[in-house]
This record gives sequence, C-alpha cells and structure tokens, in this order.
Amino acid sequence: MSTALVARPSPGVQVEERGGGLFRRLGSLRHTSPGRLELLLGLLVTLGVLTGLLAGITGAATSAGTSDLGNRAQPLLVEAETIYSALADADTTAAQAFLAGGLEPPALTQRYNDDLERATTAISAAARLTPDGSEGAASVRTLSNGVARYSALVATARADNRQGLPVGSSYLSAASDLNRQTLLPQAQNLFRVAQQGVRDGYTNAASYVWVTLLALLILALAGALLLAQRYLSRATHRTFNVPLVAATALTVLLAIGTLFVLTGQNGHLGRADSAGSTPVAQLAEARILALRERGDEALTLAAHGSGSQYATDFTSAEDQLTKALGNEYFSDDLRAAHQAYLAAHEKVSSLDQGGSYDDAVRLAIGTQTSQTFESVTAGIGSALDGRKAVFNQEIGAAGNGLTLLAVFGPIAALAICVLAGAGIRARLQEYR
Amino acid sequence: MMRTRIGIALAGTAATVLALAGCSGDSSPLPGSTTAAATPGASAAAPAATPDTSCNPRASLRPTGALPQPGHMPAGSYMAKIQAQGRLILGTSQDTLLFSSRNPFTGKVEGFDVDMGRQIAQAIFGDPNKLQIKVIGYDKRVSSAKDGSVDIVADTMTANCARWKDVNFSSIYYEAGQRVLVSKDSPVKSIDDLGGKKVCAASGSTSLDNIAKAKSKPIPVAKASFGDCLVAFQQNEVDAISTDDTILAGMAAQDPYARVVGVPFTQEPYGMAMSKAHPEFTQFVNAVLAKNRENGTWTATYKKWLGAFGAPPAPPVAEYK
Repeated sequence: MSTALVARPSPGVQVEERGGGLFRRLGSLRHTSPGRLELLLGLLVTLGVLTGLLAGITGAATSAGTSDLGNRAQPLLVEAETIYSALADADTTAAQAFLAGGLEPPALTQRYNDDLERATTAISAAARLTPDGSEGAASVRTLSNGVARYSALVATARADNRQGLPVGSSYLSAASDLNRQTLLPQAQNLFRVAQQGVRDGYTNAASYVWVTLLALLILALAGALLLAQRYLSRATHRTFNVPLVAATALTVLLAIGTLFVLTGQNGHLGRADSAGSTPVAQLAEARILALRERGDEALTLAAHGSGSQYATDFTSAEDQLTKALGNEYFSDDLRAAHQAYLAAHEKVSSLDQGGSYDDAVRLAIGTQTSQTFESVTAGIGSALDGRKAVFNQEIGAAGNGLTLLAVFGPIAALAICVLAGAGIRARLQEYR
Repeated sequence: MMRTRIGIALAGTAATVLALAGCSGDSSPLPGSTTAAATPGASAAAPAATPDTSCNPRASLRPTGALPQPGHMPAGSYMAKIQAQGRLILGTSQDTLLFSSRNPFTGKVEGFDVDMGRQIAQAIFGDPNKLQIKVIGYDKRVSSAKDGSVDIVADTMTANCARWKDVNFSSIYYEAGQRVLVSKDSPVKSIDDLGGKKVCAASGSTSLDNIAKAKSKPIPVAKASFGDCLVAFQQNEVDAISTDDTILAGMAAQDPYARVVGVPFTQEPYGMAMSKAHPEFTQFVNAVLAKNRENGTWTATYKKWLGAFGAPPAPPVAEYK
C-alpha cells in the first residue's frame, strides 16, 4: 500500500493527461518562483501525508502484534504445556492406581479425572488459539480425537479391574502406549509450534520495517521543512515563516512522541520476553521433564522387570532436568526437592532390582515419595504462575500508547500538512 | 478368595471348552459338527505343522542322585549361587490368566507357571516365596534364559528343537495344543475357516509361526503379549486369536462373547527354560519335577488353576536323553 503511495509522483495533480505532458509540465514549474513554491508545497504535503499514514500503520501494527502476542501466542504456549502436563500426569496416575492393586484409591481416581478435565479444557482453548489449517491446528485435532480414545481405553481397564479381569492391565498398557506414543508427542509438537509463535509474536509486535520507514519519513519531513524555510527566508527576505516553524515544531513533537511510545513498548517487550516468556518456556519444559521422570518410574514398576526402556528414559529426563534446574529461574529449594525425589527414586529402583518388588511399589506410590515429588511440580507451578503474571503485566504495559500513536500520529501529520500549506500559500498569494 | 471367583467365572464361561481343554484326543464338541467332513485335509492330520525332528524336544537332562536338602545346595553349583543371592528369579508374563497373570485384586502375579517357579524356590530355600518375578516379553524368553538375566523361564513356553539350540529345557510339565478363539456368533469352526482373516498371537511365540504356516493362509497379527491380543480382539482389530488352548481358556474366561473352537492342531509341550551354562540346574529342576509328579504336587497345582476344566490328567511323563 505504502509503496504505491510513494510511487505516486505528486498528490497535487488530480487529472492525469498524456503521460509525457504531465512530467514536462511538472518539470517546467521549477523555472518560475511560484512554480518552485508549488513544487515545495507538493513535496511537503506528500511527505506529511505519508508520515501520517505510516504513523497510523505503525501504531496499528505494533498494537496488533503486541495484543496477538499477549492474547494468542503466549496463551497457546501455556495451554500446550497444560495439555502436556495433564496428559503425562493422567498416565502416571493411571499407572500408579494399577500398581496399587485392588480398587483404585479414590484420591488417584480424583486426580485422574482432574487431569483429564484440565487436558480437555486446555485442548478446546488451544483449538480457539490456533488458526485453521495450521500445524498447531492439526496437532490439536489429533489430541482431541486421541484423548477421547484414551479415556475410553482407561474406562474399559477400570471396568475390567472392577470385575477382577486381568485383561484390564492390557487395556491400561494400550492406553498408556496411546498416551506416550501419540498424545504426548503431539502436545510437545503443539508446544514447539507455540514457542515459534511467541518468537514470531515478538518480531511482529516490534514491527521493525514500519518503525524504520516511519523514522526515515519523519526525518525527511523535518529536513524538507527546514530546507523550505531556508529557501523562503532567502527568497523572500523574511527570517521566519510562522506556520512552517509551527509545522517543524509539531514534527519534532511527533518524532519525540513516537520515539517515547516505541521505546517504551520495546522495553516492556524485552522484559516480557526475558522475565516472562523465556522463563515460562523453561519452567514449562522443566515440569514436563519432572512428570516424565515420575511416569517412567511408575511404568518401570508396572512393567515388572521388562521396563528397561522406561528406566533409560528416566535417566535421560533426569540429566536434562538437572541441567535445566541449574539456571537462574529455579530456586535452591526446588533443586533440593528434586534431589530429594531422586534419592527416593534411587531407593525405589534398588529395592526393585534387589527383588523387593512389593516394597519398591509401596515406596514409589507411598505418601512420602508422592509428597516429595509434589513439592517439585508445585514449586515449578508457582514459579510458572509468577512468570505468567510478569508477562501479562509487561505485555499490557507494552500495549500502552500504541493506540495513541495510531490515532494522534495521522492527526499531527495532517496538522503539519495544513500548516505547511498555510505557510507556503501566503507566499504564493504574493504572486497573484 | 480371588481364586474362587475366577474359578466360578471359568466354570460358567468356559463351559463350551471344557470337553476339549487338555485332552487333545477328543473330537470337536460342537453338536452335529461337520468340520471334519468339510475340511478333510487339515483335520485329518491333527498336528498340521511339521515338527522339527532334528531332536526330541521332550528329552531333557537326566537327574543324578538324590535332591539336596533345601538350604544346603552343593557348593559350586548354580543352585548354591541362587541360594547366595537369596531368591530365585523367575521370568514369566503377567497377562496369561491361569498360568501367570497379575491378580487385579492383590497386584500379585500368580498362576500355574508361577507355582512351578515357587516349587523350585521351595526346593532350594525351603520357602516358596523366595521368588522374584520378572515379567519378560514373549520374544525375550529365550534370550533372558540364555543371558542369565533370569534364572529360569516358566512362561507357557513350548520346548522345541530350535530353542534347544540356545537353552536347556526341563522335562515337560504341561501338554498344550494350539486352537482358535473367535467371537461367539462367528461361523468359524477351526483355523481352516480363517483364510484371509486377521489372527493374533504374541510375537516370539510358536503360535505366531503356526498361524503363518496354516494352510488356510490367515493373516498373522503380532502383538507384544496375549493380553494385547485380547484387547485387539475386543476392539475388533483382529478376527481371532490362535494359541495354546490353555492360554485361550484364560481369555475365554474373561470374555463371555468369546469361545474356543476346533481341535488342537499342534502339540505344545511346555518346559522351563534355563541357561545351557550350568546343566546341573536343569538336572536339579528335573529332579524337583519328578518328585512333584510322584507326590501329587503337580496334580494339586493342576487342580488349583485348571480344575475348572475337569479332572486332572496324569502328569506328562518325563523323558530323558
């Protein structure tokens, strides 16, 4: 749109005559004084109109980008993490209930139901946040179909268990396979898409191209105004042309205002990223890893000796998590809690390997180990909530003033055009 | 308590298979069965799959001397090593009802195969509970016994010549034969009617090979375990399951809409698998089996798990090299 406008030779000419004639007539203007004034007026008005247009576009683009980041990209990341952690927790909970033997402990039933509810709520929220036909939307579709199948398998496993049929455990392992091999990878894919979306969101919110064009135009406008005044003061022997001085002042004001608004936005965006998005992504990944550890532990036990792949996966999750926990976003308490859980897990697996399977199960699903693990996820959870709040606050602040730029930028530019017109017309009239 | 419940369930739901299970000489119990007439070729030769005759898979190592007292295993023997480690590690599955399955009420793995392991533990320690159960995949049964990750495998495992090349088998402790499980309203009467149909078995089982070898050319579908086959059957992913009658009976007991059909078309003699590295352990196990055949322990174990199928047959006769 803007390029079309830039390409337009002059706004002063409305009716285009034969191609060559127009340029010839425009060219011939510079030979007379009033002609030069007319050209000057045309230049100033063109620059003024373009500046106004770009101020509007820049204000609108940065504002839209910022609100898309805050209202879509970042929330999608959060929903994706919720889907992952709810599904991973559901899988772990189902495996633990299976390990417990007998009827499911009510606390675990409740927990599983809560997990499923969180997952389905987050999936429908994510569906609203992913554009049709996008990669994210495909993941969401697979997830919402898969969760229905998953819960059906678990329900059958429970019904079989209720009747004392051992095939229930096969249904549970089919459900677990579906969860681990289809649902969790899709949730992780959605998380990755959302992370990319957040990165793009920051770029869109900053709208570097528009901002650069606007800055160049404001400079050109100010320069043109100053040149016009120098020409007039030389040609007319009047030191100041008051309307043009006012227009220059207004241009400077516009420049300062734009600078102020955009710098503010940039600062808030920077903080939203460094104190919000980045820690949120890292905390979310840490929670995913922690849940993977706990799930692997339960599945190792449920496999009853044939779960070496889960034990291997535990080790890799443990390594990644220990490394992730090393950074500044995690408290010492959290690191200590994780170490305490690892110690408990160590005991569980040495009991299991030493042949005391029942003791291993009892320790793994017992209150103490559960609480130790809870303190890890709860710690990450509250840190996450804190970071989400920081993000929301910063992104809200980043949006401030952008609408002002979109509204008052064009108005100021219009005023500059009017003033420039008034200033030059006064001189033009002297030739009539 | 749980056992009684399963027992009752068995008595009710497996009524149709009672006449056949365990006794391969019987003909089909179906009223007015025309199976034999309709497909003369296949049913005339009961063991359709030609067995590998390079060896006698039933012949194991002959026990030498009397059994040592529990807790006093001869020094240097593998039994002494097991005694030192404090428990016997048994490799088995957890989803083969009646042979080795996880009791949903207690969370414990139990069954005929597990009791076989317990009897060995009893002979070594004087305590049947000094047993660590390690669930292994069907396709890991040979390798687990071979590499020593378990001391012994008792997992509805057919002793055959191919496996004898890698492991030692005990003398035969159970005689099974492969049959077919289909849904109650299915017209299928035997494996011969399953041409082009999907038939499930656990990967690494002889049953899967036998399905592939069947003349009617069913499509074999491999799952990790027979429990997974039952899930696939109930979800209509496969048309039938074909494996040993014993395993099928455990499945039919869990699904009132399933029934076991046809005569056994193979012979599946079950043996316990052990590493070839210490033949004295195989001899010891054979001695324990021999003792338990005589003193009625075998019959009591049969009654405990398979009593619902009728009176216990005579224990399989031990054959030695």
